[in-house]
Amino acid sequence: MEVNFFKIKKSNYSLLTVVFLATLIILPILSLFIGSIGIDISNFLYLSEYLLLDYTISTVYLLSLTLVFSFMFGVIPAWLISTSRFRGRKIYDLLLYLPLAIPTYIMAFSYGDILSFSGPFQSFVRDFIPSLTNFVNQDYLQIEILAILLAFSLYPYLYAACRISFSLIGNNYINLSKNLGLNEINTFLKVGIPLSRPAIFSAIFLISMEVLNEYGAVSYFGVNTYTSGIFRAWGSMADMETASLLAIVLFLVVCLFFGLEKWLSSKFKYNFKSNSDLSPYFKNSNKKLIFTHISCMIIILAAFAIPILYMVNNIIIDIDNIDFFDVYNLSKNTVIVSLVSSILIVVVVILIQYLKRISKSKILNFTGETISLTYAIPGAVIGISLILLFSPINDYFGFLLIGSIPVLIYAYFIRYMAVAVSPIVSSFKKYPMKLDDSGKSLGLKPFEFFRKIFLPLNKSAIIIAFCICFVDIMKDLPLTLILRPFNFDTLATQTYEYAIEEMITKSSIYSITIVIFGVILLSILSVNQSKK
Amino acid sequence: MKKYLLKITLTLTVCIMFSCDTAKEKSDEINIYSQRHYAVDELQYENFTKQTGIKVNVTKANADELIQRMKIEGSSSPADLFITVDVGKLWQAGDMGLLQKIKDETITSGIDSEFLDPNNYWIPLTYRSRVVVYSKERVDVNDLSTYEDLANEKWKNRLLIRSSSNSYNQALMSSLIANLGSDVAEDWSTKIVSNLAREPKGNDRDQVKAIASGQGDIAVVNSYYIGLLLSSEKEEELKAGNSVGVFFPNQAENQRGAHVNVSGIALTKNAPNRENAIKLISFLTSQSAQQTYVNNTYEYSINSSVEPNEIVKSWGDFKKDKLDLNMLGVKRNEAIRIFDKTGWK
Repeated sequence: MEVNFFKIKKSNYSLLTVVFLATLIILPILSLFIGSIGIDISNFLYLSEYLLLDYTISTVYLLSLTLVFSFMFGVIPAWLISTSRFRGRKIYDLLLYLPLAIPTYIMAFSYGDILSFSGPFQSFVRDFIPSLTNFVNQDYLQIEILAILLAFSLYPYLYAACRISFSLIGNNYINLSKNLGLNEINTFLKVGIPLSRPAIFSAIFLISMEVLNEYGAVSYFGVNTYTSGIFRAWGSMADMETASLLAIVLFLVVCLFFGLEKWLSSKFKYNFKSNSDLSPYFKNSNKKLIFTHISCMIIILAAFAIPILYMVNNIIIDIDNIDFFDVYNLSKNTVIVSLVSSILIVVVVILIQYLKRISKSKILNFTGETISLTYAIPGAVIGISLILLFSPINDYFGFLLIGSIPVLIYAYFIRYMAVAVSPIVSSFKKYPMKLDDSGKSLGLKPFEFFRKIFLPLNKSAIIIAFCICFVDIMKDLPLTLILRPFNFDTLATQTYEYAIEEMITKSSIYSITIVIFGVILLSILSVNQSKK
Repeated sequence: MKKYLLKITLTLTVCIMFSCDTAKEKSDEINIYSQRHYAVDELQYENFTKQTGIKVNVTKANADELIQRMKIEGSSSPADLFITVDVGKLWQAGDMGLLQKIKDETITSGIDSEFLDPNNYWIPLTYRSRVVVYSKERVDVNDLSTYEDLANEKWKNRLLIRSSSNSYNQALMSSLIANLGSDVAEDWSTKIVSNLAREPKGNDRDQVKAIASGQGDIAVVNSYYIGLLLSSEKEEELKAGNSVGVFFPNQAENQRGAHVNVSGIALTKNAPNRENAIKLISFLTSQSAQQTYVNNTYEYSINSSVEPNEIVKSWGDFKKDKLDLNMLGVKRNEAIRIFDKTGWK
């Protein structure tokens, strides 16, 4: 048993702080709950009768496919890169993070155009391989293709999580498995994956939430998911209350799964000691090398290079009409709000998780785990819940809080908290409580220990959390659209406005700017990762 | 640590105080909640500011979100004006009590009466028609006649149209319900679904591309998307645009005319800058601003003396459905139910 040396009284400020922060996060959901009390459920019943079953089935199908593809694109390369050494490994490692910088709806709209009859792919075949013209002339707007495209822009969550986890497995386990006669594939399946279960789960959670909340790409492909139901109630039936109710149902289902996972993982505990000895390398057979190169290249090409080339081509076509001053201004807006919000998020997540660690209070433990569940609610619904929350303040004080930068940042804070939680939590968990005890015996106070020892140890996870948060906020659409101040555009809103008006060519300069910022950040992340 | 927390809290509070506007009226500004996000809008606002010195503030988002925001904000809403690309949403905002009437002869005198709101809750800015496009290769234009005829079996597996969650389709269905009754509309919807060449998906441009690729022969799309395709700088898109012809349905003498929808503007219930807002409406409906609209988008002007863009003009004049445009909102909920009942995804 570990002994808690940093005893903290329950009445202490740390508990209050966490409860305060948790309240900040829970408040909007609460206002949704209150908003949906006593509603007329006729529309809800109507939707359940005609649509929800269909919507739920296609949601489950889309989600399963996306997860399978994300697994293929994320986990396998992460294993290959973590456990073997070959030329080009570092470059692949960097490039494999980059598709995260492409918003899902841009991925969908771009590929929709690339694969369309008048797009470059079919034109190329018509011009150069005419015999295949009929073969490639297909309807590409299919749910399966959508799943691949979603996986293209979401697999980096899994990749990032697995890279950290796989590289920490270390020699002991790998050698043990070798001695037991397991080949590499079996080691991957029976050692690598089970030991990385928490990391994989947290990434799968993020990907699932992204898929559940995706609306632009999904409706473009004519696929109706559960979220389509929410927007059907809200948009087409003009019934926000039913929409809130649907969002709450979704939220509760997600909570259920989340709880189930926690319960399961508490039953099957793997006794996992991290091992910093980093040479668990498998020998590279030629076959494996070829497989590694081909799979990494295909993923990078399809998920990153092709959409980027497409955007660059659009920019070249439209170069005379581009207002670079506007691009600069929007970049400034985007970077400022993303920067402030992601710093805020990272600081708060560290605070909560560290207080949770040193106080061991049950309430703290529970809050620490559940705050990321807000990610299950569609951004647009969070936006409205915040308007509900702040409108009384507008009324009483005459301040226009709604449509101000602080509220926008607050919204990002609530929504993107989940993204930062998982890397930080898994990194904190790696260091046993013994470490804290030795800190205590050196005479360090909790805060000193944190600043001098704990923070530097977890630096890389914190940087990862910051980068992913930043990139995600930069891509945010639903919250920004409804909560932004007057005349305030970001790169994402401008991209969206052109894309939705079917002017994808014009949107490219803005989307590529998002990608460029994303690439810069993710490169930092990747360099930081490989230093480890 | 207490110290740090205190500092952070204080800094945040100060930041919030400074970055928030007060809701008080400012004499030289107007605030717009807009669903329109075309580059031409910014040009119009710039011109207006140059002319009057009044600064135009815009928040652009989806119509439903903006309506919800206005509803919650109530009397403290900063919005003076609400702009949409679908008249149904203007009707909805009016119906929810979010708008106030505008009775201003100087504004309405420049607008064709068929586009005006009989209840005076909104003013039209531009209009567009939902037309039929057909493959020039595979369809004889004489086979086309009305929206009703699209339900004919001869179009089996040949018709393309996007999803029923699209507001332009909802408006079209509403117009059918208002004109023909819900039974006829429901029957029509059932047959349309069975005629579809593929499940509803993609945007309007994608329907045209699907005709070019041979996946279907006819499609229902908004007129200005054809204009966008025909002015594309991409050769292949031009080809796709040129492979289809534009047909305005229901044009025969005893028929009601092609379905049109307006993009319009409305004054909010508590508009803090009412005077300025009226000035902007008056500006946007003026001859010169209307000219700016048609020169930069492929929409039609609500002032018949302003001629459309050359590409749009080449499709010829057409007869417009004279239905009270508010019906496109009134019948919306019924339209959704018909879509769902008949399996129009």
